[in-house]
Amino acid sequence: MISASHWKGLLGALLCCATGAQAQQAGSPAVSVVAVPPFSTPDDRQTSAGGTLSIAWEASKLIAQDLRTTSEIMPLPPVEKDYYSYPEVTAPSFPKWRSSNAKFLVTGFIQARSDGRVTFGCYVYDVDRGREVARKGFVVAPSEWQRAAHRCSGLAYTAATGAPGIFDSRITYVAESGVGTGRIERIAIMDSDGSNHRYLTKGEAMVLTPRLSPRASRIAFVSLAGGRPQVRLLETETGADRPLVPNEAISFAPRFSADGSQIAFSMMLGQNSDIYVAGAEGGQARRLTTSPGVDTDASFSPDGTKIAFESDRSGSQQLYVMNSDGSGQRRISFGGAAYAAPDWSPDGEWIAFTRREPGGRRIGIVRADGTGERLLTNGPADEGASWAASSRELIFQRIDGAGNSSLYRVSIDGSEPRSVALPQGASDPDWSGVVE
Amino acid sequence: MIRIILALAAIAAGTGAASAQIRAPGIVQRMIPGTRQQAAPVAAVDALRADFLARTGGDTIFFGNNVSGLAAPARATLAAQAAWLRQHPDVAVRIEGHGDTGDTRNHALAMGARRAEEVRSYLVLLGVPAGQVTTTSVGKERPGSPRAVTVLVQ
Repeated sequence: MISASHWKGLLGALLCCATGAQAQQAGSPAVSVVAVPPFSTPDDRQTSAGGTLSIAWEASKLIAQDLRTTSEIMPLPPVEKDYYSYPEVTAPSFPKWRSSNAKFLVTGFIQARSDGRVTFGCYVYDVDRGREVARKGFVVAPSEWQRAAHRCSGLAYTAATGAPGIFDSRITYVAESGVGTGRIERIAIMDSDGSNHRYLTKGEAMVLTPRLSPRASRIAFVSLAGGRPQVRLLETETGADRPLVPNEAISFAPRFSADGSQIAFSMMLGQNSDIYVAGAEGGQARRLTTSPGVDTDASFSPDGTKIAFESDRSGSQQLYVMNSDGSGQRRISFGGAAYAAPDWSPDGEWIAFTRREPGGRRIGIVRADGTGERLLTNGPADEGASWAASSRELIFQRIDGAGNSSLYRVSIDGSEPRSVALPQGASDPDWSGVVE
Repeated sequence: MIRIILALAAIAAGTGAASAQIRAPGIVQRMIPGTRQQAAPVAAVDALRADFLARTGGDTIFFGNNVSGLAAPARATLAAQAAWLRQHPDVAVRIEGHGDTGDTRNHALAMGARRAEEVRSYLVLLGVPAGQVTTTSVGKERPGSPRAVTVLVQ
């Protein structure tokens, strides 16, 4: 038994110190084993989402499942015989986990509160050193326990890799169903683990390239509802949408800045496509490029000072970087092929691209100064890579030999791309930052 | 592909076809008597469309991969289209540009727009009033060769 005072003290410490210990810096591509024994509860009480013990069991399964979707972590999933008594949550038996080769251990508890909500406690331990490296407490409605579990997964991921966790982030894409004249395209959004999948547009008009704002509250996308391609802004909660720039010009290829305040996009004047930037709340668009030909696919650096983009001004599509006022434009791709669709990683280290050559289209990454180019996929019809918040992984579109389009995730460590299970065909994926 | 666009054009045209009916060539007028009033506009546009195709040699201009310039056969077809459009000043057209399927999403969209704009500029150069011709791009969203399709909208 735990005394009430012990319990209160523990809970207070948990809730007050939400940041926890400094995350261990990763650096090696080695896979970390993370043990996820069943979560505990101080007292199995009924809530509106079931008993706290059963929520605890489901939560530990969800965390193991989250961690399994990454290429850097191999979770040891919960097994009933490892069930933790409540005191063991904060005082784990390290030798046992050392013998199972676990580098990290995630424990936690669910406790019903008198106000009808639950406290979700999450602890991460470094098994070798035998000490706590992170802890976080969440007070949520019982039905929201999955979200708390995703954030607990993120805490464990960050502790093990040093990178932001991506489990509480969103993915948007264009859902494609039907063929020929019956073809329907809708904007879909889901949590990064595939849950909470829903459609945001009804499919009356062709839609392209949905791009999430950093916290996934908005989507900039291209609609042909008015007859011509036009960038529009959609509120993900209400479904309301409006044109970004109220004019008749063809506009496309939108992307938010990392702080969500600006949107870079392409607009056509006659045969000339140039890069423009507009405030996400409206206002005049500023023109940043003027070269003849097609300048498109602008992507802000995470600090907002630079923009990567694609231009065919040299005769073929190549990657360029400029300052965010349009000055200092310079080409960074010289690999003997065409390069397109740059996306700047959230940590600023890499620019993902689509490499186009006679053999097909492949996804790769390169540093912003043009060095260190690496191809991550074999194609032959891959494109449109978008970074995970972790900067360790990309989501992209692949068309198979039968012409079916679907989404894949690939880690930058060079492992095989993995298919993302979806209810229908899919294109133009985009991954948000961490939703807090 | 062409058939699909024809059908779409006919539906889109519904309301604006009354004036076109008056100016339509003989083939249309032979079809109109006896048809019910509501069906008439669609039939008229279909017939206009058929006449346009018959007299111009086609509504589709093909381009090379990654190219938006007009080849000689394209110019010949567009000259015939321009002549027809000058004779039908109240028939508006939309030029739909299509990108290369091997291209990337947004570059294909821009290439489609460039092709449509190239066609429009050439028609205007040959005397078609600028206000009669609009452009759009569907990028690589509809399969087929890089092309620009002239769609009757009114």
